[in-house]
Amino acid sequence: MKFSQLAIVLLFVFSFSKIAAQEFKLGKVSVAELQEKMHPKDTSAVAAVLYEKGDVSFLYVEGQGFISVLEVEARIKIYKKEGYDWANKNVVYYIGSNLSKESVLFSDVVTYNLVGGKVEKTKLKSDGIFDENLNKYRSQKKITMPNVKEGSVIEYKYLVRSPNIGSLKGWYFQTSIPVNYSEYVTKIPEYFVYNSKQKGFIYPKIDVEKNNKSIVLVSKERSNDRDNVSHTTFSHDKLDYLETKTTYIAQDLPAMKDEAYVNNINNYTSSIEQELSMTRYPNEAFKSFSTDWNSVVKTIYDNEDFGLELNRTGYFENDLKALLKGITAQDEIIKTIFDYVKSNVKWNEYYGYNCDKGVKKAYKEKTGNVADINLMLTAMLRYAGLTVNPVLVSTRSNGIAMFPNRTAFNYVIAAVETGTGIILLDASDKFATPNILPFRALNWMGRLIRKDGTSEEVDLMPKKQSFDNITMSYRVNPEGVVTGKARRQCTDYNAMLYRNNVENVKEDTYLEKLENENDKIEINEYNRTNEKELLLPTIETFTFTGSNLCEIIGEKIYINPMLFFANKQNPFKQENREYPIDYGFPSSDKYSITIQIPEGYAVESMPVPSAIAMEDNLGMFKFNAAVNENILQLVITHQINAAIIPADYYSMLQEYYKGMIAKENEKIILKRI
Amino acid sequence: MKLIFCSLFFLLFSLTIFAQKSEYTAVNISDSLKENADAVVRLNQVDIVIASQRSMTTKSKRVITVFNEKGLNAIDAVEYYDKSTTVKSIEAVVYDLQGKEIKKIKRKDFRDQSVVGGGTFFSESRYLYLDYTPIDYPFTIVYESEVSTSTTAFIRKWMPLDNYNTSIEKSILNVAYPNNLGFKKKELHFSGFNIKKVTDSATLLSYVATNILAQKPEDYSPAFKDIFPSVMMGLESFHLEGVDGTATTWEAFGKWYANTILLGTTDLSDETKTKIKTLVGAEKDPVKKAKIVYDYVQKKSRYVNIAIGIGGWKPMLANDVDRLGYGDCKALTNYTKALLEIVGVPSYNAILYGNSYKMDIDSEFVSMQGNHMILSIPNKDKYIWLECTSQDDPFGYQGTFTDDRNVLIIKPEGGEIVRTTIYEDKNNTQISKGNYSLSEEGNLSGFITIVSQGSQYNKKTTVEKMQPTDKEAYYKSYWDNINNLKISKAVFLNDKENITFTEDVQINAVNYGSISTNKMMFVVDAFNKYTGNVKRIRNRKNPFQIQRGYIDEDEIEINLPTGFTIEYLPAVVALKGKYGEYKIEIIKKENNKLLYKRSISINKGRYSNTEYDEYRLFMEKVNKSDNAKIILTKN
Repeated sequence: MKFSQLAIVLLFVFSFSKIAAQEFKLGKVSVAELQEKMHPKDTSAVAAVLYEKGDVSFLYVEGQGFISVLEVEARIKIYKKEGYDWANKNVVYYIGSNLSKESVLFSDVVTYNLVGGKVEKTKLKSDGIFDENLNKYRSQKKITMPNVKEGSVIEYKYLVRSPNIGSLKGWYFQTSIPVNYSEYVTKIPEYFVYNSKQKGFIYPKIDVEKNNKSIVLVSKERSNDRDNVSHTTFSHDKLDYLETKTTYIAQDLPAMKDEAYVNNINNYTSSIEQELSMTRYPNEAFKSFSTDWNSVVKTIYDNEDFGLELNRTGYFENDLKALLKGITAQDEIIKTIFDYVKSNVKWNEYYGYNCDKGVKKAYKEKTGNVADINLMLTAMLRYAGLTVNPVLVSTRSNGIAMFPNRTAFNYVIAAVETGTGIILLDASDKFATPNILPFRALNWMGRLIRKDGTSEEVDLMPKKQSFDNITMSYRVNPEGVVTGKARRQCTDYNAMLYRNNVENVKEDTYLEKLENENDKIEINEYNRTNEKELLLPTIETFTFTGSNLCEIIGEKIYINPMLFFANKQNPFKQENREYPIDYGFPSSDKYSITIQIPEGYAVESMPVPSAIAMEDNLGMFKFNAAVNENILQLVITHQINAAIIPADYYSMLQEYYKGMIAKENEKIILKRI
Repeated sequence: MKLIFCSLFFLLFSLTIFAQKSEYTAVNISDSLKENADAVVRLNQVDIVIASQRSMTTKSKRVITVFNEKGLNAIDAVEYYDKSTTVKSIEAVVYDLQGKEIKKIKRKDFRDQSVVGGGTFFSESRYLYLDYTPIDYPFTIVYESEVSTSTTAFIRKWMPLDNYNTSIEKSILNVAYPNNLGFKKKELHFSGFNIKKVTDSATLLSYVATNILAQKPEDYSPAFKDIFPSVMMGLESFHLEGVDGTATTWEAFGKWYANTILLGTTDLSDETKTKIKTLVGAEKDPVKKAKIVYDYVQKKSRYVNIAIGIGGWKPMLANDVDRLGYGDCKALTNYTKALLEIVGVPSYNAILYGNSYKMDIDSEFVSMQGNHMILSIPNKDKYIWLECTSQDDPFGYQGTFTDDRNVLIIKPEGGEIVRTTIYEDKNNTQISKGNYSLSEEGNLSGFITIVSQGSQYNKKTTVEKMQPTDKEAYYKSYWDNINNLKISKAVFLNDKENITFTEDVQINAVNYGSISTNKMMFVVDAFNKYTGNVKRIRNRKNPFQIQRGYIDEDEIEINLPTGFTIEYLPAVVALKGKYGEYKIEIIKKENNKLLYKRSISINKGRYSNTEYDEYRLFMEKVNKSDNAKIILTKN
């Protein structure tokens, strides 16, 4: 599975056909809309957006320059009580610094009900509007609609004024309820060029027109005349400019439904985001921000919280010299520096590709955000003479970075170029090792930035299989008690998952859990190896006794050969699937099982060997069993060869698991002789 | 019913403490305190000074050694504030293993956040909290704060031990109060813990607790506060945001509440009065009138929690609820009361703890308690209870959020402690009748009717309102013992009059019977397998309790595939013990049919720690029997 497949699916086609915006106006709620009992296309919908319009325009404010004004109006139908949440609306806005403070103003907030065949209007008064300060940077305005019942139609309008024209507020055409009509209009003066990125499976129709506009600038001049009487003269300068009006219209958008094993639902929701890519002020040189990956990268690199921080070395030079004394092998250098950063600077759980407190301070205080840590790591490795570059990443929670812009990324890691390929490093996670990144960073492609400002894509998804190898031998006695020992070895991502699982868990508690989750076996002689040796596979061994592991029915003993390791449930319960199945990494589970049967018993029947192969070599299940006197031997493997499997394969995958689970639960029958 | 807490008794308190020189290294902690501990409270000193009825200052000093990430909770460096409560100081200092200072955290470095979230839509309250990234474990943190408030209606309960996996080296409480405010206290669950009362006079109270070992959480335990030590405190003369109060009895407390907090909140417009009178019409029976009004409120209103005004205690005016159509538990309860008043049905606000774990208002300790409000309507010698935040609950149904607990009823003539509806074990039933057929390939198709009542009704009704995909997911997890399950039909009947929920479900699944060579094997009990996992717990310490008992009865007809003969049929199993009874039976019938009968009853109760294993073994037998398989051989 290649990244390009998804990219193609998500690529959109601009269609410049002339479209007519539909006439919706606040206040014109029809009786038919109020009478509607359920959504005509989705009878289970709890509510629906009847129409929603967003309009972004630019306003010239004296002394401040251009600001953006977003005007939103919406009409929402509430079908069921479960949809009452749609009668609450909140808008978050930025209050960080005086210069860039935003404001939000709600108006025309009305609930409509049908009472005795007549339309009844209830207006929202000020007691239903709340302003809440979230933190230093953000506030939110909230409204809760009055008099909402099943069948109500609600309307509201709000205005967001923002001096932050670097990126406009995004517009989501689609949401978790059906949207009948969604219109988004941007009216952008010629001085600005925005780069828009669009996502989702449904593409709005787009219409572009150019209009002539003008601003009148008023300037004041005071002068004293000969009689020393002061005069104020006003001069009006008219500035003509061209405005590009773009209208996006999407209709009949189905509700978005989240599914299991989906990376991030927002990757698939129809939406548009706009980021400033260039300014073209009159009498000024063009200033470009992010029209392609190279300029995005340059902008990021030129930012002092990134490039400058990357070039600092003074703060660690002495420590590093001492640390690297006598170490010459590249692998050793990488390991030493990587471990040094991991153990000395702890991640404060903040993302970002820009440093928060700066590498120097982070180094001193021993904590920092992702950029503080990984840019420091990059600088140290460079200092040690390796070819190392930062790689910009978009975390799973941030969605997939598909279009060139600065906000596409929110995370940074380091990449060492070696003769045999690239080694990815993330020192913010304590269990990460070279080429084993924390799950949050495993998200399609990253972008590697070189010193000369060029950049290239780097595939973040693991190619190497992570192993989970289980060796188990046990004997069964005639009373049905099973005693045996097991050894489990995990590599790479499986080892990382294991380490996360056992971290901070007392051994006693861990064993209690292991016993209870595995048919109440009793575990003894438990041993764990390499828990802290991150480069080595984790190994646990234990002996066990279980009285619930087989069944004696009449003269016969029925055993599931895999005992508690058998998969019992198909993880893919849903009938259909829209989005790719994201395993995170390729894997291989292998069980080698030896069973000793009790004296006086013989095998009456046992599962026959079989194999299931997935299409296109995406995975493979093999089941082998053989009997030799009173010893049974089985080898079972289950292999997933890709980190991500496209949704087209869903039913194939379901069948695969169905077959595998049926096989894994077949019994060995022992009879008395 | 929604599980929602009102911010009614929003417990905003504060702690305070003396500075005290101490050794902060983690090296010299005794081994016994380290056992099972993610953190050790080296010192927790709380000094409460009640200067007057309208002024209380709480100083806290806490020295905590944290061993790992899970121990971070024990630091608990959070202070709430609002119009009547001020955080005067707050700071923390971090020391490394050796006791060397590594970081100072000043007030400005604490994060400041609104309490909005979860069930609360808007609130004026905010809080300051510590956001610290540990560099290394273990470390020791010294946290100090001082908070003053004019609200003396609540004094934070003292709980020397307040979390699992945390041990206590020393915990000190000092309280100073004027002798004329009627300070009172109640000690709970002290026995078995090393707690010394140092002073107990007309103006001073103090305790010292030392060396309390870390406790491990155990399933089926009573709530923390029901087994571990605490001291409840209160004043007879108190203050709540601009309102003074005095109460020594529940009667007086209720009077005060009715005459100050609730006064004047139930006025309604003439228009609404006429409307509701017309709606009720000629109906004379008070219960029937109440039903009409409750139905009206359920249709008209929705739950939105807005905590403004007297500490979130005063309900929104009934008139506002009438206009806006929403409110929190107090607002909606009060509104319903106002409507009932118009049609001549008396009803009272009831204050309680809303939680699926049953919690009582402590009847022996007259004070502000609870977190929720419902409405009580006297009906002969009993009460009908109405959950006014729910748009779906049947009239008078309490489910598992407010059932079987002591609540405070506010009557104008005085408060009164009353117990809410008890749903007896025998009435919490799930009766299933159905059938399934197996094909020669082991594929199953079946139909079942499940009827749920009592507290089981509550568990089931949510499925009715689910989206199709959620509904499917619900049944797939409900019957997770059936692989490859497909739901072909699910129809519901929600009889609110008789509080009975009926599900008619049709299913099919391939590979239910597992085939090996010439045999087919399948679990008889397809529809109602006990799925709980009563864990084995080494050396259980806590008593265990079953809060609600129930009865399940199943009668399932099984059509066996043709061309097979029965090789093995599970025998009758009958179990009987103090925790309940269980029985299964398979009856052979004509035409390749079997009848599977299963019944289980579980008794509610509180049992000792040693009885736990007995219960576990009982449930394990149930589990085993529910897994009993039939084996068929191909002819």
